[in-house]
Amino acid sequence: MTNSENWAWWTLGVIALTLIAFFALVAILRNVPASQSAFALMALMALHPRSWRKFKGPQFDEREKEIAEKAQLAAFRAVWVVFIGLVMTIGFVKGWNATLSVPVWMLSSAICWALILVLTVESVTTLVLYRRG
Amino acid sequence: MPGEKTEIRNNIRRLRFDHGEMTQDDLAKQAGVTRHTIMALEAGKYFPSLLLAFRIARAFGVGVDQVFEYVETSDPGLSAS
Repeated sequence: MTNSENWAWWTLGVIALTLIAFFALVAILRNVPASQSAFALMALMALHPRSWRKFKGPQFDEREKEIAEKAQLAAFRAVWVVFIGLVMTIGFVKGWNATLSVPVWMLSSAICWALILVLTVESVTTLVLYRRG
Repeated sequence: MPGEKTEIRNNIRRLRFDHGEMTQDDLAKQAGVTRHTIMALEAGKYFPSLLLAFRIARAFGVGVDQVFEYVETSDPGLSAS
């Protein structure tokens, strides 16, 4: 298993752990804003060596670099599609001139969910591309 | 060209054998890539950049054309239409 595949599995594991903790807290506390503290578990991703190797200089070879770039592009596209979908849905449901007022915790929550989406798509794409060659 | 299928074949496995069963790891080190990339190349799942192709050829002490072959075959499915 390459370092990048190892990173992808580690990331998926951390995301799974975060989601389990989040939904467990929601069930126990019945308080979504407070349950967001589970997102702090995502910091565990920094424990993987690949997270630091960018500081030691380029160590990817050309194939690994190509896969990493494709995975990042897939993640970017996924976020973009979800973002456009959300904006369109809100626009059509609430009306294009409607004013939305949302609590502040929803902003931090949106960023955390976007990060989860990015990392999940990036990890899965990385694993798929390595399998394909 | 329509109706023609192209592919790049390589002789890396045979060249490694000819060079005293050079390991994938040794070749990877000489070419400056990971062993997984050499595995993907041998399996025909990845096509290298020109730079990597030259590095691999240099590792074997041969020309690029002896490592990689450009093969053109006609595709009966396309030419029939």
